[in-house]
Amino acid sequence: MAKLTVDGFVVRDDLAYDLEHHMWVEELGSGVVRIGMDALGLETSGTLAQLSFEPAEFDVDRGAAFGSLEAEKFVGPLIAPVSGRILAINEAALEHPGIVQADPYGAGWLIEVRAHRLDEERDRLLQGAEEIHSSFSAKIREYRVEGVLSE
Amino acid sequence: MTAWRYLTEDDVGAAAGLAADEALMHAHARDRDTAPPVLRLYTYASHAALCGRYQHLEAEIDVDACARTGTAFNRRPTGGGAIVMGEGQLGVAVVTRAPSGDRPKSVLVRFSTGIVAGLARLGIDASFGGKNDLKVEGRKIAGLGLYLDGEGGLLFHASVLADLDVAFMLDVLDIPAAKLGERAVAAVNERVTTVSRETGEPWTGASLRDVIAQGFSDALGVMLEPSGPSGEERVRAERLAADKYASDEWLFHRSPHPDATATALLKTPAGLVRLYLALSGDVIKSALFAGDFNEIPAPLAAFEAGLKWQRLDAATLTGLAAVACPDGTLDVAPDAIVDLVLEAGDRALTRDRAAPARDGSCYFPENDVAAAVRAEVPR
Repeated sequence: MAKLTVDGFVVRDDLAYDLEHHMWVEELGSGVVRIGMDALGLETSGTLAQLSFEPAEFDVDRGAAFGSLEAEKFVGPLIAPVSGRILAINEAALEHPGIVQADPYGAGWLIEVRAHRLDEERDRLLQGAEEIHSSFSAKIREYRVEGVLSE
Repeated sequence: MTAWRYLTEDDVGAAAGLAADEALMHAHARDRDTAPPVLRLYTYASHAALCGRYQHLEAEIDVDACARTGTAFNRRPTGGGAIVMGEGQLGVAVVTRAPSGDRPKSVLVRFSTGIVAGLARLGIDASFGGKNDLKVEGRKIAGLGLYLDGEGGLLFHASVLADLDVAFMLDVLDIPAAKLGERAVAAVNERVTTVSRETGEPWTGASLRDVIAQGFSDALGVMLEPSGPSGEERVRAERLAADKYASDEWLFHRSPHPDATATALLKTPAGLVRLYLALSGDVIKSALFAGDFNEIPAPLAAFEAGLKWQRLDAATLTGLAAVACPDGTLDVAPDAIVDLVLEAGDRALTRDRAAPARDGSCYFPENDVAAAVRAEVPR
């Protein structure tokens, strides 16, 4: 695992990202992936107070909700970056949403999924250290211009 | 100039009002053709008490007081604290497709500019402040909320305080006025203002509507086209009102992290300070300092305003205190104020959560003051 710091935000370059919804995907092998929120998405959502997930065995499509959250700035859905069947949910994150913000790429993962169309959907995710760095950097600049992030 | 649908309504019931907003979202799902955004400016029938999406309704709203006063109660899809709505408050709903790539804060700020511009027409200088509020010189005049559904629809909600019966609010939001009497009203009035108060003239939600509509038109450069709900929207709203917003499952939903409240006391050279703290899990949902002062000192007010939505964590609170009250307040060091928050928080977190808690509103948390005083006042 390699962690990068992009303009003050930590990202892992061995993960794949859906930057629109600020979700990351880690391939665990045998078509199983772990999903979580990236640090930039968490920062721009504000303090996370509540999480809820669909239960194990629930089938979710890429772009659809697999749960919801209440953060400082909004109540809204958690959007799946890949399609699949939920195998596990992170009970610790449900119990203590603070760990998602404290360790978003580690103990703060959200769900594990048996992906249905990983080969097809992987290409729609952001991958590779260079691309991840440049895309996050551009997004951070955009958010700073909008005033969503402080300078 | 972009055209928006403009809907108005008055004397709306609690379930019907919330259902109507949600019903409008369906047309903005990402798998449907693009539809014009909607601005709905409406008032609830006096009165409705509305808690936030993940709050425990019975802990936030005094349902007995609601029955006594004929006040409806319900749960919003948006987050935040409990509020009262009625003829004195203007409900604002903007419904559109969630813009791709925009973060919640930019959406909140963008749509709040319509309200800010409207209030400016009355000479009121409101600005985005606190966490999700519009404030006038530090006092809240409107609360804002944002709900994104799983289909791609966006609902921006605001409650604009044209006027406010504070004593009534304290009654139905489960804050027994008997305990703090006039001091509770005064404490709220220190933190909240209204259009009536700012202008010196009586305003209602309905009388404020045209001003706010003009504000949206000016600030967002949109043309408001008077409209009504479509047949499909009416049917959907009726179904949502009956099946969702009137259901016990929705009304009495219990979230994974129960709200908990507690108080703590600090004896300072300037007198006693009481902190009323409300938590959701380990997140501070509201905080209020009261004590032997006529007006809350500015550094303490800044610290109090910053507490909302902070995690109950010593390092976080110390950092906040270093910014808000670096020289301390009431002749005590910042650390003493931080310790007061941690003490109240620890008490709230260790409380038996099986017991019904008496929580406060987003304006004023409350708890068993007498017990806290007995336990902590030096004798």
